[in-house]
Amino acid sequence: MRVEAQLSRRTALKLLAGQMALLASGCSRPREEIVPYVRMPERLVPGVPLQFATTLDLGGFGRGVLCTSIEGRPIKVEGNPQHPASLGATDPFAEAAVLSLYDPDRSQAVRTAGEISNWAAFLDTLKPRLEDLAARNGDGLRILTGPISSPTLLRQIDELRRRLPKLQWHVHDPLEDSAAHQGSLLAFGRLAISAPRLGEVDVIVSLDADPLGPGPMQIVNARGFSDRRRVRSDGADIGRLYAIESSPTLTGANADHRLALPPARIADFAVAIARGLGADLPEIALPTATAAFQQEVSRDIAAHRGRALVVVGPTLPPDIHALCHWINAQLQAPIDYWEPDDEAAGAPLADLVRDLDAGAVDSLFVLQCNPAYDAPPALGFARAAAKARLSVHLGCYFDETAALCQWHIPATHGLEGWSDLATRGGAASLVQPLIEPLYATRSSHEVVDALAGGVASGYALVRETWAAAAPAGGFETWWRQALQDGIIVRNRDQKAADLTPSLPQLKTVAAGSPLTLILRPDPCIYDGSFANNAWLQELPKPLTKEVWGNSIGLAPADAATLGVIGGDALRLTANGGSVSAPVRIAAGHAPGVLSLYLGHGRTAAGVIGTGVGANAYLLRADASFAIDRVTAEPTGERASVPSTQHQFSLEGEAEDLFPSYALDQFRRLDANAKTGEPASFFAPPPGSGARWGMVIDTSLCIGCNACVVACQVENNSPVVGPDEIARGRDMHWLRIDAYEIGTSDNPRTGFQPVPCMHCETAPCEPVCPTGASVHDSEGLNVQVYNRCIGTRFCEANCPYKVRRFNYFGYADGQEYADLGADVMRAHNNPDVTVRSRGVMEKCTYCVQRISRARRAADKDNRAIADGEVVTACQAACPAKAINFGDLSLKGAQVSTLAREPHHYSLLGHLDTRPRTTYLAQVRDPNPTLVRRPG
Amino acid sequence: MSLALSSQRAREELPPLLPDRATDSWITATIADPVLTHSAGRGWWIAMACAAPLALIAVVAMALVLWSGVGVLGNNTTVVWGFPIANYVWWIGIGNAGTLISALLLLTRQAWRASINRFAEAMTLFAVSIAGLFPILHLGRPQYFYWLAPYPNTMTLWPQWRSALVWDFWAILSYLLFSIVFFYVGLLPDLACFRDRATTHAGRVIYGAFALGWRGSTHQWRLHNVFYSTMAALAVPLVCSVHSIVGLDFAASLAPGWQETIFPPYFVVGAMFSGFAMVVLLAAALRRGFGFQSILTIRHFEAMALIILASSLIMTLSYATEWFSAWYSGQTADRGEVVFAFTGSYAPLFWLQLVCNCVAPQALWWPPVRRNITALVAISAAILVGMWLERILIIWNTLSHDYLPSMRRVFLPTLVDWLLLIAPLGLFAMMFLLFLRLLPAISMHEMRQLRHERSQR
Repeated sequence: MRVEAQLSRRTALKLLAGQMALLASGCSRPREEIVPYVRMPERLVPGVPLQFATTLDLGGFGRGVLCTSIEGRPIKVEGNPQHPASLGATDPFAEAAVLSLYDPDRSQAVRTAGEISNWAAFLDTLKPRLEDLAARNGDGLRILTGPISSPTLLRQIDELRRRLPKLQWHVHDPLEDSAAHQGSLLAFGRLAISAPRLGEVDVIVSLDADPLGPGPMQIVNARGFSDRRRVRSDGADIGRLYAIESSPTLTGANADHRLALPPARIADFAVAIARGLGADLPEIALPTATAAFQQEVSRDIAAHRGRALVVVGPTLPPDIHALCHWINAQLQAPIDYWEPDDEAAGAPLADLVRDLDAGAVDSLFVLQCNPAYDAPPALGFARAAAKARLSVHLGCYFDETAALCQWHIPATHGLEGWSDLATRGGAASLVQPLIEPLYATRSSHEVVDALAGGVASGYALVRETWAAAAPAGGFETWWRQALQDGIIVRNRDQKAADLTPSLPQLKTVAAGSPLTLILRPDPCIYDGSFANNAWLQELPKPLTKEVWGNSIGLAPADAATLGVIGGDALRLTANGGSVSAPVRIAAGHAPGVLSLYLGHGRTAAGVIGTGVGANAYLLRADASFAIDRVTAEPTGERASVPSTQHQFSLEGEAEDLFPSYALDQFRRLDANAKTGEPASFFAPPPGSGARWGMVIDTSLCIGCNACVVACQVENNSPVVGPDEIARGRDMHWLRIDAYEIGTSDNPRTGFQPVPCMHCETAPCEPVCPTGASVHDSEGLNVQVYNRCIGTRFCEANCPYKVRRFNYFGYADGQEYADLGADVMRAHNNPDVTVRSRGVMEKCTYCVQRISRARRAADKDNRAIADGEVVTACQAACPAKAINFGDLSLKGAQVSTLAREPHHYSLLGHLDTRPRTTYLAQVRDPNPTLVRRPG
Repeated sequence: MSLALSSQRAREELPPLLPDRATDSWITATIADPVLTHSAGRGWWIAMACAAPLALIAVVAMALVLWSGVGVLGNNTTVVWGFPIANYVWWIGIGNAGTLISALLLLTRQAWRASINRFAEAMTLFAVSIAGLFPILHLGRPQYFYWLAPYPNTMTLWPQWRSALVWDFWAILSYLLFSIVFFYVGLLPDLACFRDRATTHAGRVIYGAFALGWRGSTHQWRLHNVFYSTMAALAVPLVCSVHSIVGLDFAASLAPGWQETIFPPYFVVGAMFSGFAMVVLLAAALRRGFGFQSILTIRHFEAMALIILASSLIMTLSYATEWFSAWYSGQTADRGEVVFAFTGSYAPLFWLQLVCNCVAPQALWWPPVRRNITALVAISAAILVGMWLERILIIWNTLSHDYLPSMRRVFLPTLVDWLLLIAPLGLFAMMFLLFLRLLPAISMHEMRQLRHERSQR
């Protein structure tokens, strides 16, 4: 009562007014305005995706891609059919490029001495030094790059070298195949690049090479190889592949015959093959079984002269490379040779380190490479780098090398800036930005231009390069066409005409060490530059199915000798370096051979990639891929790399689940004898229109994983992280099952991509209590996310186990590491729901793409044509193993394939009537070797 | 034959179900006084001090699952079901025995039933209540569990009736509702008795309110008897249906090791098996704690032991039938699953399950074992462990060893899994302890009725 008495009318009104003011100011939504375009940008229709042709970089070479952009955000990369290194397909690295673009760990600001700085400050520092250097003709100025093929960058460096003659350019490529280079010098007396045309070959002999493995040529090789593997009842012949290799590779997995030998024995094998072709070389005694194998191989290639070739891997010494050039010449093998320009070659990193140590380096510019991580430690780059008076690093990340340099400049991502790239074959194409640079970044072109005192944009620099290439007067038209096509038609000017290899002098090989370590680029993170890409880290490696790390592979016999079992930590020591990694026992390793993937154990990759796995580069003394004299000792600790398969061994199911036929068995198969669908009491479900179905040819699948990443990108599948994988959870809608077929001591891996089967009588549907799993009229088994309450009965009842459950909000508030950052939302495909916690999800046959095709067809008042709907996995596949279409359409490719004699349904006896079906694997083993195995 | 004869002879030597000195007032006082006049006693407080923290942990663990998501459990992409489902089946199994004892034994006029039916029913109530939590905790989006009910909604969507989970939802719900009503109706005369004997005003009011005006008139007794017998007749099929449907959760599927017609009856027997084991444990505790030696006699324990033994034999037969049909089917997947059970990742647990469920109860063939409460308690505890193992192994063995080898994965339990297994026992114990302090743990009116029937004979 007293309070009220004290409150005067005036005060009350004052308080009231104040209250209103507070209410009005504090409790409203933030002001947002929706303003229509005053001038609508051409072709930009909200919600309608656009595709632009551009080129992505892998190991310095370009793969042409078409990048889908939605309202200015690049969200998906697909192959560019016109580009010779893409052929319309992709590889995992191209697919995952989008995530690297939006990676929150990307370097965002110029840094010097641990402080954030800016480009202008950098130029201020640079200017007096450049004047000084110019006065000395560039003496002491060094540029270090990774392998580069960009015509513009090569032109810029060339021009800079002309202006500053004493400037030196160094190239550092951690995956450089120096043995091949030296081999060609030995064989031809000059440097020649060779590229086999696998599509024209009947017999391939792979000597520890991995043409189907990761790398800039993977797509091309996979396409060529699979073109010779397509088995249909109308009868074409297929090629044969012999793989003689030291540790399992994708090439070995796809071989008709595989022989595991240590590198030194493979060299002997090559010599024996050469002798079989008449080479005057001393005889080398091979073990009986190997000799028998070699004689068959020799007979086979001799019988296919002109259509046989030998490929040789970087683990073998240069003289064997040279010898194989000679063998291929004898075989008249279908191989393209090119001579690269001498000027295009930079000096090796070793020279730079030597000069740094000598104090001869004044200013060092490290452009987009990371020698502090991936150069052999014995080289001492890290130590030497400090001796430069000015050191500048350009890179997308503040990585190991950036930490050593005085200045760090954030680099523009390949999808943000202008550039150009060439293929190994020399076909150049443009790199055009899909988005304004997200941060204040610079490209290599701009940095090199700054060294030349220029301030030109990447756009201007690239146009300048190509101004001369255009037909006179028509540059703009030509330029626009080149941008649209994504390819500037320019093959290597001339193929090296008369390269006649000479028979090399063979070096006597020192007695092999008891243990040899074979290093190979990681099939998922390559040389380590993709280490901070969570999609790639969580991509099961094709053969080991491991994710988030690497392990030491070795044969069971060697494991017994070392006294280790799978999961024991093993310490490897070589060349002064030492790493420890878990053991993975895998038959298929040659005796005395250990294998380890490169690219792991980064110390400054970012939140995702730092500290994952063991750094195999530490064991290198030079660029070699086979390290002799490795010592291995068990540390006594247990360690493990999470893996998505191989927790159980097969119990003889492979015969049913993954049938494999030899070519002559296949020819005896009777398409009419196939068991049809089991009888049913029920009438077929009423359907209207299309019956979507997929046929996957397991003969063609090389296991490269492009489809898995493509699916993840297209469908916004989240990453779960290593801990969740270790608990047995994963979110890939499409997985590749690896079946070990063949003998137990020499297994061969068969790959079977498994998306949802879209069963006509789907076991997941009747068990769902809320009706979240239902069939649509076109026979798609669809999942209604917002009806799902997460009982998980559908997955329990799915015989294929293709459903994936959001145990946490993997994409919905409980993301792994920094994947929940705001910028990460940009990569999502707006046509696909981002799933919340507690919801089941699975392959939809890319229903958004079906819907898009249907809308397009409806607009034209026509039916959807065969091949008009292309699923993400299908589009990515370099081997064209995945076919998708309407089974109700007469003459559709899928219906034709379904009539093949080797067509089968996975677990068809359960009467699930899957719409995803398979063509069994057909191989063409040498009949003589089959009869005499081993 | 000789064993049966000796057992027959032995029974005659046993003490009767009620002492000869028993009068109506003695019975009432023996049962009611510990609740109404005696203080709780140190034993009760110690038990409560053990149970309450566990119950708190259970609540925290459940809150954690709801807050952080089912990811905190050990389930993975392949083994999508885990502890919550096994716990659910196990608790439902426990919950089965109470109503079964009450109803089936009432209908078959088993005189020994009167001493144990009340707390067995209470056990049912608590067990089913706890069981009902687990399917909700198991859900990915537990906030929408009510979508299993056909409630009117703007989406005009109904549940998907072909799913065994929808049947299960109704089975649990109807069983829980029925158990409450059955328990309450049986309790009415005793509540009135408590109202009359209550020493405090509050007691008189509260017991009086719940007694619904029971006066013990002949009319009321007649109505009560008719209603109670009818409920009992309804209960028996309900008891069978509830666990049959739990069995169908697995059997109505395509998975090897689940898709078996034997599951419904085998689950019912399994439920009875574990339920009686739990009743034995509780009866032994009551007998000791409350000094009910004269009401809960050795004869009661022996009768229950015989049922456990019979159930164990049926369970063993069911297991053997499963293995036989897997072999006889000739299916690789089914055979592989059985081989996996015996030799695979969970084999030690599977062997332990067989020891607990099939081997240990065989000791009950010997009358001295049946009459040794310590031995009986040990065997019952083993059975409870064995039956939980059975449930979790049904899930693990099938899901870990499904059709496609590439997706075979092992279940790795987390701490929260273990908490959700252990801590609800505290919740159960706490509810049971409260029940003992609030309500008559043994049906007084039925015990008096038993005495009258005996004296008339």
